[in-house]
Amino acid sequence: MRTRREIRARKALRDRIAYHGIGIGTAFFFLAPFVIGLLASFRPNSESGLPPLPPWPMSGISFDAYRILDGFGSGVWQHTLNSLVVSFGTVALTVAVSVLAGYGFSRYRFPFKNALFVLIIATLMIPFQSILTPLFIILARLGLNNSLFGLMLVYVTLQLPFSVFMMRNAFDAVPKEIEEAARIDGARDLKLLVRVLLPLVMPGVATVSIFAFLNAWNEFFAALVLLSSNDNYTLPVLMTAVRAGRLGAINWGAVQAGVAVMVVPCLIVFLLLQRYYMRGLMAGAVK
Amino acid sequence: MTMSGIASQSPRHRRKKRSGWRGLLYIAPAMALVTVFFVLPVLFTVWMSLHKWPLLGTPAWIGFGNYVRMVSDVRFMAALGFTAHYTIIVTIAIFAVAFPLAIFVEKQRPLVSAYRTIIFLPVVVGLASASLLWVWLANVDSGLFAPLMQRLGLTNGRINLLAGFDTAFLTIIVMVVWKIAGFTMIILLTGLQAIPAELTEAARIDGARRWQRFRYLTLPLMRRTMALALILSVTGSILAFDQFYIMTSGGPQNRMISVVYYIFNQSFVSFNLGYGAALSIALLAILVTISIFQLWLLKVGDERP
Amino acid sequence: MLKRLLAATTLAYGLGLSVASAETISMWVRTGIGDSFKEVVKAYNAAGEDKVELTEVPFSELVQKYATAIAGGQAPDALSLDLIYTPAFAAAGQLEDLSEWAKSLSYFNALSPSHVKLGTYQDKIYGLPLSVETSIFAWNKELYRKAGLDPEKAPKTWEEITANAEKIRALGDDTYGFYFSGGGCGGCMIFTFTPLVWGADADILSPDSKKATLDTPEMRKAVDIYRNLVAKDTVPAGSASDNGVNFLTFTNGKIGQQSIGAFAIGTLVTQHPEIDFGVTLIPGVDGKPSSFAGGDNFVVTKGTPKLEAVKKFLEYTYSMEGQKIMAKYGSLPTRGDIAGEVLEGLDPRLKVGIEAIAVAKTPYTLQFNDLINSSNGPWATFINAAIYGDDVDGAFSNAQSEMQSIIDAGQ
Repeated sequence: MRTRREIRARKALRDRIAYHGIGIGTAFFFLAPFVIGLLASFRPNSESGLPPLPPWPMSGISFDAYRILDGFGSGVWQHTLNSLVVSFGTVALTVAVSVLAGYGFSRYRFPFKNALFVLIIATLMIPFQSILTPLFIILARLGLNNSLFGLMLVYVTLQLPFSVFMMRNAFDAVPKEIEEAARIDGARDLKLLVRVLLPLVMPGVATVSIFAFLNAWNEFFAALVLLSSNDNYTLPVLMTAVRAGRLGAINWGAVQAGVAVMVVPCLIVFLLLQRYYMRGLMAGAVK
Repeated sequence: MTMSGIASQSPRHRRKKRSGWRGLLYIAPAMALVTVFFVLPVLFTVWMSLHKWPLLGTPAWIGFGNYVRMVSDVRFMAALGFTAHYTIIVTIAIFAVAFPLAIFVEKQRPLVSAYRTIIFLPVVVGLASASLLWVWLANVDSGLFAPLMQRLGLTNGRINLLAGFDTAFLTIIVMVVWKIAGFTMIILLTGLQAIPAELTEAARIDGARRWQRFRYLTLPLMRRTMALALILSVTGSILAFDQFYIMTSGGPQNRMISVVYYIFNQSFVSFNLGYGAALSIALLAILVTISIFQLWLLKVGDERP
Repeated sequence: MLKRLLAATTLAYGLGLSVASAETISMWVRTGIGDSFKEVVKAYNAAGEDKVELTEVPFSELVQKYATAIAGGQAPDALSLDLIYTPAFAAAGQLEDLSEWAKSLSYFNALSPSHVKLGTYQDKIYGLPLSVETSIFAWNKELYRKAGLDPEKAPKTWEEITANAEKIRALGDDTYGFYFSGGGCGGCMIFTFTPLVWGADADILSPDSKKATLDTPEMRKAVDIYRNLVAKDTVPAGSASDNGVNFLTFTNGKIGQQSIGAFAIGTLVTQHPEIDFGVTLIPGVDGKPSSFAGGDNFVVTKGTPKLEAVKKFLEYTYSMEGQKIMAKYGSLPTRGDIAGEVLEGLDPRLKVGIEAIAVAKTPYTLQFNDLINSSNGPWATFINAAIYGDDVDGAFSNAQSEMQSIIDAGQ
């Protein structure tokens, strides 16, 4: 008896060690690049060209890299602000548009419904790099060239396939009875949608928001082509300048600092909202 | 989906007519955006593809000239070949990493959600940022890998990973797996968790070994989820651009030009917007075909419970 | 009376005095051209009534961005354009013809000839020099000293350079004898490497740019020189994948010798005062020196309403004051007639950059981007394959035929 229990205990221990061993190894692989990059960004400029062995600053923490980064374009704050405006604007618009559309596709029947749905999804199918020139011309005609709002609209469009798909599924999952009950209580249309249904699809909304935020925050090519003044550039455009190097030599310190500025907000947003995000993503994937 | 549609048709019949226009109203903002910022530009692209359309200067109508040129364009064929090669390798690599990870994080165990979160972290950063981070790590003089391998005595001197095709390709594959595997893992995890625990339990009691359970129970039940993960991975890989543009500028001696990269080069480096447009339309056609094929795969999954 | 008034107005107009209200000119420059032009703009904005609003565009994306802006009717009034693109832009009919005004400038004949040549398309002048950049050869005097070489003796042949590189490499770990951006940076290599063959009177394109003439004994020799430098481990491994972002690796103080741009003299003096360096002309394969005349042309978008203000600004950059500011921040004078005076009191090494103009060449082709500059073009591919690859003959024949097919397709 005792030996068997001992054997079992030993096996459990061995399993646990194996489990955590694998877990820690995996976590190391996925985490290390961030940590190394972040640590390296605090090295003084004199060390920035050296290999990160060890990655942490050897002669005191320094903000040289961030200062150099700030020297590009109109300064890192201005570009961060632009990026925040564009990202949050994109989130707000995407949520508004996709909640409406998701509800429409889930609850109503109308002519060409499937065709229209497929059309929205088809936005995924084209490399948007190839429609940038027409996009630029259209924005110019609308008087929205070189404007953050114009860029937002483009981003919202790029977000739609995923978001509408997501929100349609989210509404599909809401039992019809709830809606019927609310209808009987006198709630109609928008009021019904906002007061009754919206709280029920919050995980979907959170997922859509995070995706919209991340994509708008990280996109560089459309921003580069569609914006045309220093003051309007978003962070990723700044990063293209950092990558191109200045005075003929790339400053790896500035690259690390730039990556840190780009990456840290994404990680924070994700970590804060990950509960919704994972749930929303899973709910979307089951469909 | 079709079943529920038929079943619910008769009682809803009256409301359907009444709510027809209202439904359109709800989707109107989305349709407006898609029309202005997607349909119009695509139509415009089609129009451009029928012209010799320089980036600067006046366009001239050439009908299907661009499409004819495409067929005998060796570099376009090479780009297609490379993209296919990349798509296959990277998809296999992602699945090879993501599937075990999904199984690894499936059961509720201590720290499992922490592991899940960490594995997922790279997914949320931009591909451009990730490429930038990795191009630094892979830099031979100021990066991590080459000096580390040298110091560990694995290599004699520092090897420039990005200078040769094989090592550069491997570096990019590892980077993409690092960036994407978490996403695929979560999708697969969803499928795994949807398998009723009783089923697995019953199979276990029946004496099915771990591998048998996986092969004859888990895999067939995961069909739909896998198809979804496959579609996302394949579409993403066919459209790959950032990693090649940022990490290798097209690779040692142009051997890493993906299709989108080639379109980009034709449009904005060689200034042949018309030809670039024709290539885009061709790519669109290819993607639509592949997607239909994959959707058909999904349907197959539907019919087999 | 009326006649006199009119004449006075015209005169005032001609002098650029009559611009009633201050105007703001929008202008684009590429990132990485250095501070010199920015400083000129700063001074102009501080002094004059007109303002110049400068937008920096990443250099690798400038051309497509400008072209898209034109398509959308949103182009800037003026542009600092890499001179090699001027013919293509002019041919596309996007630039304002400046011929008459340019020829009326008293110092027109003293403007950098390569720039004016590239700025001319079908006998009309569309671009005028804004910044002049020539390629020169630099060596690190301190490393020369350490390696037991004479730090004041400029190498005259590639045999000398190779021997020196080996001695410097022998100093140890991360000290190298030579550097170049060989990872598909066509622009870098046309700038620093072709002078080797130009010095020996060979070229990669026929004079009318209709034939690719890559495979010459001179080019074979030049390739061998570089291959040898690589084989002897005198070049850092990073060179093989450097697409131009580390073009000025020389500034890290651990590179013994490198062909760089005259621009870098200013950069080195102001940003890296710790580096003691000498400069000379780039020797050709048989010792006769040559150089690439690069830099930017000032071009004006066709149809801009602010043409007069733009001209006024350009005249300011050509003035003694403007030229001095440019030179102070490391750009060579664009006007030969006052070059001596402008460079007075500045670093004597800048004179080497001016000397280079006399022996310098610039390829004139509408397909520069496709042939040379694109990191996926035949030239960039050739450099990488011929210098680092195993199949030199294959690299030559592939590049030769691909260049020719691009040229033919453009006819």
